[in-house]
Amino acid sequence: MRSSDGSLIEVHLTVNGDAVRRAVPPERTLAELLREDLLLTGCKQGCDQGDCGACTVLVDGRAQLACLTLVVAIDGATIETVEGLQQRGRLHPLQAAFVAHGAAQCGFCTPGMLLSAVALLRASPRASRDEIRAGLAGNLCRCTGYVKIIDAVEAVARGDDEEPAP
Amino acid sequence: MTIGDRTPNPRAYDAVTGRTRFADDLTFPGMLHARLVRSPHAHARVVAIDAAAALALPGVHAVITAADLPTPFGVIPWTQDEHALAAKARFVGDPVACVAAVDEQTAIRAAALVDVTWEVLPHVLEPAAALAPEAPRVNELAKHGNVTKSVQLAFGDLDAALAGSDAVVAASYDFAGSTHAALEPHCAIGQWDPAGGLTVVSTTQVPHYLHRELARVLELAEDRVRVIQPPLGGGFGGKSEPFGHELCVGKLAMMTGRPVKLRLTREEVFYTHRGRHPMHLDVRLGATRDGRLTGCDLRVLIDGGAYASFGLVTTYYAGQLVTAPLRLSAFRLDTTRAYTNKPPCGPKRGHGSVQPRFAFEVTVDRLAEALDLDPIELRRRNCLEAGERTINEFLVRSTGFRDCLDRVERASDWKRKHRQLPFGRGVGVAGSFYISGTNYPIYPNEMPQSAVQLKVDRSGKVTVFSGACEMGQGVEAMLTAIVCEELGVAPGAVRVVTGDTDLTPVDLGGYSSRTTMMAGNACLRAARDLAARVAEVAGADWRTRPPVEAFRVAEARLGALGAVGSYDTPKDVHGAYRGGTIGASPAYSFTAHVAEVTVDVETGQVRVDRLWVAHDCGRALRPQIVEGQIEGSAYMGLGEALFEEQAFHPSGLHRGPSLLDYGLPTTLDTPDIVAMIVEGGDPEGPYGAKEAGEGPLHPSIPAIANAIHDAVGIRLDALPFSPARVLAALTPRPTGRS
Amino acid sequence: MQPLPPLAWSAPTTIDEVVAALAEGVPGEVRLHAGGTDLVPNLKRGVTSARRLIGLGRVAELQELVDGPADALGVGAAVTLDDLGRDPRVVARWPAVAEAARQVASPQLRRMATLGGNLCLDTRCRFYDQSAFWRGALGGCLKADGDACHVVPTGRKCVAACCADTPAPLIAAGAELELASVRGPRRVHVADFFAGDGARNHTLAPDELLVRVWLPAPAPGTRAGYQRLRRRGAIDFPLLTVAATVVVERDVVRAVTVVVGALGAVPRRLRGLDALAVGRPLDAAVRAAIAAAATRQCHPLDNLGDAAWRQAVVAPLVRRTLEALEPATAPDAASLR
Repeated sequence: MRSSDGSLIEVHLTVNGDAVRRAVPPERTLAELLREDLLLTGCKQGCDQGDCGACTVLVDGRAQLACLTLVVAIDGATIETVEGLQQRGRLHPLQAAFVAHGAAQCGFCTPGMLLSAVALLRASPRASRDEIRAGLAGNLCRCTGYVKIIDAVEAVARGDDEEPAP
Repeated sequence: MTIGDRTPNPRAYDAVTGRTRFADDLTFPGMLHARLVRSPHAHARVVAIDAAAALALPGVHAVITAADLPTPFGVIPWTQDEHALAAKARFVGDPVACVAAVDEQTAIRAAALVDVTWEVLPHVLEPAAALAPEAPRVNELAKHGNVTKSVQLAFGDLDAALAGSDAVVAASYDFAGSTHAALEPHCAIGQWDPAGGLTVVSTTQVPHYLHRELARVLELAEDRVRVIQPPLGGGFGGKSEPFGHELCVGKLAMMTGRPVKLRLTREEVFYTHRGRHPMHLDVRLGATRDGRLTGCDLRVLIDGGAYASFGLVTTYYAGQLVTAPLRLSAFRLDTTRAYTNKPPCGPKRGHGSVQPRFAFEVTVDRLAEALDLDPIELRRRNCLEAGERTINEFLVRSTGFRDCLDRVERASDWKRKHRQLPFGRGVGVAGSFYISGTNYPIYPNEMPQSAVQLKVDRSGKVTVFSGACEMGQGVEAMLTAIVCEELGVAPGAVRVVTGDTDLTPVDLGGYSSRTTMMAGNACLRAARDLAARVAEVAGADWRTRPPVEAFRVAEARLGALGAVGSYDTPKDVHGAYRGGTIGASPAYSFTAHVAEVTVDVETGQVRVDRLWVAHDCGRALRPQIVEGQIEGSAYMGLGEALFEEQAFHPSGLHRGPSLLDYGLPTTLDTPDIVAMIVEGGDPEGPYGAKEAGEGPLHPSIPAIANAIHDAVGIRLDALPFSPARVLAALTPRPTGRS
Repeated sequence: MQPLPPLAWSAPTTIDEVVAALAEGVPGEVRLHAGGTDLVPNLKRGVTSARRLIGLGRVAELQELVDGPADALGVGAAVTLDDLGRDPRVVARWPAVAEAARQVASPQLRRMATLGGNLCLDTRCRFYDQSAFWRGALGGCLKADGDACHVVPTGRKCVAACCADTPAPLIAAGAELELASVRGPRRVHVADFFAGDGARNHTLAPDELLVRVWLPAPAPGTRAGYQRLRRRGAIDFPLLTVAATVVVERDVVRAVTVVVGALGAVPRRLRGLDALAVGRPLDAAVRAAIAAAATRQCHPLDNLGDAAWRQAVVAPLVRRTLEALEPATAPDAASLR
């Protein structure tokens, strides 16, 4: 697999369960692919430099920054975005907890924050409040002061959250 | 859903599923991308612009410059001193040309090919220097040299009040500029339809003001302009006035006939700014031995940057908004806003009053120390009462400040901590008040400040049309709660349409904490009007049955169902002097903070361990959202206290226009914030509600400063409280407790 | 979006293929891509240029940790900092290295960023890590597009700093690097890998690949530590790093290494510590003496701002690092865990 200048490279990805085949230029970032080609605009661009975490998505289950990820470098990967968190129309428990706890204000950081939280709780389902704080340290939120975000994740980690919101 | 319960915010579902469509998430067929060409000089005249090379690049559709948009604009009608594209750049980053091309990459390349010939002029960065007679003139459209506005007011006999005081503290403070840094960068999309006119989709907090300025600058009738405001990814005041880039996409759409999108990079957002003004403040405050405050003398020099923005208002707020919650017997203010060759400052959460509040509350702490009084007790002895007017004649109809003090004192275990924690740890207190909307609109008119239309039909669905601006602060939730309360419908039966000047009645926008008071009251009136008419035909007991049954009866008897409501402010709450309307509000919120900090005396690093915040919002229509506003405000204040600064190189260049260098607090820098709601009710607010979005920021910064003093005995009178500044203040070692 | 410049891409699967591709490439046009967390933003900002990227993600050898002779551990250059920081062998035997890896930037960036990338991290300076527009407005600097230094106005040599977390603890651990090129392999101590020029602070030849970092087994009685300062609790690059390795035998110091980083282009290994510490217990007096030596030998510049403050905190940070050393367990003990 090698391109001369200007040629496209075919990549295969699984995005939210769907097989995606695309020919992309090597300089295409995952954020551009998701937002512009696949219209998965839940992946947000807050800085485009890796400083804010708004573009966080899961690449093979690991929360990474889509704005710094080259699509050609992750050929074959499985991508999960916020649009794929719901299952059969039901909110993911973390989504439900974010709603119930008022963890989303403007909602711009929310998708990235959720995906960091999903990855965190998959690796550490009973994460403590301090672990949650550390696990979300790469996601900036300008609205909430993080309090209700951490509350929401902690509620899911403790398994004490109420019925998922409809 | 009823008033005061914890039903989730209806907008949260879109937020957590990624369905919220922000401006930059929208694309239109044939859309072009625009890029601004910005000045690399702090002050330079554009001698010539050669766009030939840019226009020759395949894919470039248009290049516009100052000559294409010659009408000056600005949010305040009296100080319209900027152009969409400058003929003379007044700060590093001032836009002078705009390119539209088929894609972003091409637009970027074309922008680099626009050849600008500059005549570099001497620049001035500091307000004191800008006021000197020989200073270069920053803005030729300013009416008084480099002064945007200067305000001198006096109430009571200050000299006598201070002379009669047992203690007078004089201190000076330097408040650093900071910026909003909403996570969503500004974005605007222009669309031109020769039949229908111009539509601009934009990240604006003020669709109505943008509407007016687009029409005026682009020379279109107002009925040929539509502004659509999608949900905002945060605003905080940074999107609350018309911007040049919004005018550019309008112009380029009209010229090319294609949709044109312009999204600012994060770096450009730092240049666009309109954030917190740097201020130098001199305060004198007196008190009697028994802890009665006497007079306050406040002088403020305000660094405005290159354009006026809301600066006329800022200049008043910088003085007028320290006169509560504590009673003063005399007050004198002298505030001046100067132009400098830096990105323009404007309204950031707590517009104009966060800086003097810092100075005032630290001065009160000093006074408490001088009088050997507990600083909470000192404040308690001076609380204004409901129904009283401030020394500058603003009518305060409700205040829960005393309760706020009690709540934070108890929750923080203040009495066992203040002046008693080990060296390196401390607690500090501060209080504040803030407006719930401005009593008078920005341009003089006698129309309502906010209006709401309700549509109801036989489906049982209620649609609320409001021009209010949703930016995450919960407008839709607030309006939904009011409709549910009044009409007995379920939240799922309410649809709220906001932010579209074609579809929604005029609301002046999302600024000055006006929305709950004004849009809330407008909605309440519409809903009560509708409920009354339904009751007339469906019986007074209609609420005991499913509302849809009554709606059907009403639609059958009355025809189409709808109602309108509007709100304008009371005209008897301001001061009877020139400027006495600025700072006057239908109602004021009150806040008290206690901060607990740990200071690392070897490195100067300050950790805020906990913040207790009690906020009197009159009545919490959506308590969870009110808590979120309290927490977010306290967080934003903490960021200003410890980390954030708009700092500039001597060349006028921003020192670090990135989220990395600017440094918003992360989860690891933010303590748990204990938000406590105080509800006393206000006669003017809907169900008694007042603002909650800006007031709770104010005491964060002085509470942290006072806590640092309690911890290690140093007074930090300049922001931010960086480790370098703290360590410098600690050396040589102070005579604090050990 | 800030689009990247047009690039060509190849993704070889073996080290031989990588070094062959490097040898074919025009120096300055070819860059290696591992995590991309430094390269991609630098390309976006135009402080780095490249026409061709060689992706390292498919080279299996670079992703592995391998046991070496004499209980050494070889860490593939493309092992992520996240994996490095939680590898039980590294945590037990080279705790300072693991700690440094866990301190880098943010969780997302640690999952992408690699150890090799951290060692080769571009130097940082507040007059350099900016956009092309910004640098142009200032007239460029010694490191990019100009001939003036804004930190040391009279300077002729770039003073941008090595702001990576891992070099200091790797130097303190005595780690070696395994490099490969078509000319054959070579090994170099991490301490000798760096060069005193902020414009290019390492000695990797343009056709060379960093293959592996070899961590030598700690001597019995080794204790190690790492501390760093930054403005915020996450995301930020360090403003100062301190790593220490101390070998204690029968309660007295047998060997001591302290490395201070994020000063200039090269992490600084403190000199003359043996005379202060060897043969004595690591008590408060010895720690204070080492901290005082650090103050004398370290002179932060304004490359990262706040030079005077950074100077003032060198001593406390060194002392604290020495106070909080953790045992680097012998390999047997590690395998028993």
